[in-house]
Amino acid sequence: MFHNLIQLYRFTVQTAFTCLLLAAPIFGNAETINTNHKTSQISFAGEHAGMPFSGKFRSWQAQLILPPSNTPKIEASIDLRSAKTGDRTYDETLTEGDWFDVKNTPKGQFVSQDIQLTEKGYLVKGELTLRGITQTLEFALTHTSKGLTGQLKIDRLAFDIGKDSDPDAEWVSRYITLNLHITR
Amino acid sequence: MMNKTTKATFSSSAEEQLSTPQRYHSLAIMLHWLIALGIVFMFASGTYMLYGDLSKAEQYKLFQIHKSAGVLILLSVVARVATRIFTHPPALPSGLSGRDKRLSKLGHLGLYACLIVMPISGWVMVSASPFGLPTIVFGWFEWPHIPGISRNKPIETLARTIHWTTASVFLSLIILHLGAVIKHQYFEKINLIKRMWW
Repeated sequence: MFHNLIQLYRFTVQTAFTCLLLAAPIFGNAETINTNHKTSQISFAGEHAGMPFSGKFRSWQAQLILPPSNTPKIEASIDLRSAKTGDRTYDETLTEGDWFDVKNTPKGQFVSQDIQLTEKGYLVKGELTLRGITQTLEFALTHTSKGLTGQLKIDRLAFDIGKDSDPDAEWVSRYITLNLHITR
Repeated sequence: MMNKTTKATFSSSAEEQLSTPQRYHSLAIMLHWLIALGIVFMFASGTYMLYGDLSKAEQYKLFQIHKSAGVLILLSVVARVATRIFTHPPALPSGLSGRDKRLSKLGHLGLYACLIVMPISGWVMVSASPFGLPTIVFGWFEWPHIPGISRNKPIETLARTIHWTTASVFLSLIILHLGAVIKHQYFEKINLIKRMWW
């Protein structure tokens, strides 16, 4: 009887540890999101000549390692050639040297290692590189039923985007809104 | 009976074409009037997009339409010049004085020059513009930029001046062209329109 109790205790402890060991990576994975244009969306919007325009990046990938991980990190790589608004005039101009300059810098990069837990999600502080120019950005990622959503405004002139064509933002708005819809 | 008449008409017009035709080639006539309509539109849109009370959006859209129409006119002018080279134009009416014949040749030469310089200077302007906007002809096909002059402000400015100056000369020549038709019609009773109509 006593012997059986010890065995039962051992069995229980072993089972508990095994469960914990098996569960640890599952909990770890829950903080990591690997995503791309197929399931998630990065879109942009602005104004040209007073007319609103919007588009999205049709090719990009990102990895989000979110708190409570001790080493949180977001890394995203965006194919700038894949920016499409549906207007041929815009789409072809966007790839040119004065805009995304895709010949020299075909990719945009975002890297963050500063991600804070907030009430509704996360506060992300990181560095965006476009046309070889790096700027620090801060934005909130908010939990939704499907995953995460965020919005940030980019000062295109801070990245020299359209600096020769329209330095005074007379035609194309200086601030471009980026909308993020991350699906888990 | 019908067949015979048709045949007779055909052979007589074919003979005319071979010797000295009474009117310009059908293709030349068609192109003349199409281009004339195009030019009226270009003068109107060109003036309105620069001086009209337009919002930025409307101005931008009108510029794109003006560019598209300009490409179609340039292609028509190429066809027109080719038609002129490969067909026989009708001889000038015998009732015209030697001076008027010389002036007519000079005037038409000037009109052709304007028809060529206008679209080409516009094309240079668009190609050298700091905006670098492509020309998508009525959303139908892309007309390329002239290579080697992208974002070239001095060339753009030069092309703009040529476009403007040529437009003024062109307008004067068109007024002279119409004035000559009216003058010969009313003072010398020479009907020139039938040379340029079916």
